[in-house]
Amino acid sequence: MKPEVKLDFQFDSPIEKVWLALTDSNMLAKWVMDNDFKPVVGHHFQFRAKPSKVWDGIVDSEVLVVEEPHRLSYTWVTAGVSTVVTWTLHSSNGATHLHLEHTGFESESLSYNGARLGWVKMADQLEVVLAEL
Amino acid sequence: MDEQHEARDVYAAVADPTRRKLLRLLAEADELPLHELTVHFEMGRTAVSKHLAILKAADLVRHRKAGRETRYRLNAEPLREIEDGVTFHTAFWNQGSAKLSQLLKEEEE
Repeated sequence: MKPEVKLDFQFDSPIEKVWLALTDSNMLAKWVMDNDFKPVVGHHFQFRAKPSKVWDGIVDSEVLVVEEPHRLSYTWVTAGVSTVVTWTLHSSNGATHLHLEHTGFESESLSYNGARLGWVKMADQLEVVLAEL
Repeated sequence: MDEQHEARDVYAAVADPTRRKLLRLLAEADELPLHELTVHFEMGRTAVSKHLAILKAADLVRHRKAGRETRYRLNAEPLREIEDGVTFHTAFWNQGSAKLSQLLKEEEE
């Protein structure tokens, strides 16, 4: 089985607001990275972070699916590794359930340093990595 | 030791759940002696010591003698070399969603 990221989040906000946070370029910049995203299928865009020694800081993407306000998908190509990010939203009692699937990782990238994914060197990154251990 | 070899050692070191738990315990504490680490595991101190030795070899854990005991602490720096896509993206998106949650809360206010 190929490795993948599957995460679920819950927000006390209406689905329209969460959808906006996922699809508005300025909002995305606040919680993902700077970008030139547009919610248009086929749109090519980039997420950009500060480059580091091991990573150029660029994620190349193409919008694959825009089904407002329930489904959004785009490619996520960085450091020579091509993956896909898919967001699924469900509304219940005014709250929003957000499901993320980040798929397409090769098994090799799980083994010894296969992919040189440097990743965002945010100040609190280490804390988060530690929390995940 | 070249850079790639170094990263491999770090990855191998954190590939084991016992060692990840050790890192977490050390991340939460300043410094711990072996017996305080051992109580968190169902294995004996010899087994825990072996895991600590692997973490030390990867420079993820450092130690010093304090009187009769050896005290261990985390050295988090080599974790930066972990570049496994799934681990990193899980952390990345968890961090992102925490920010998103904060953003949405601010908007509600």
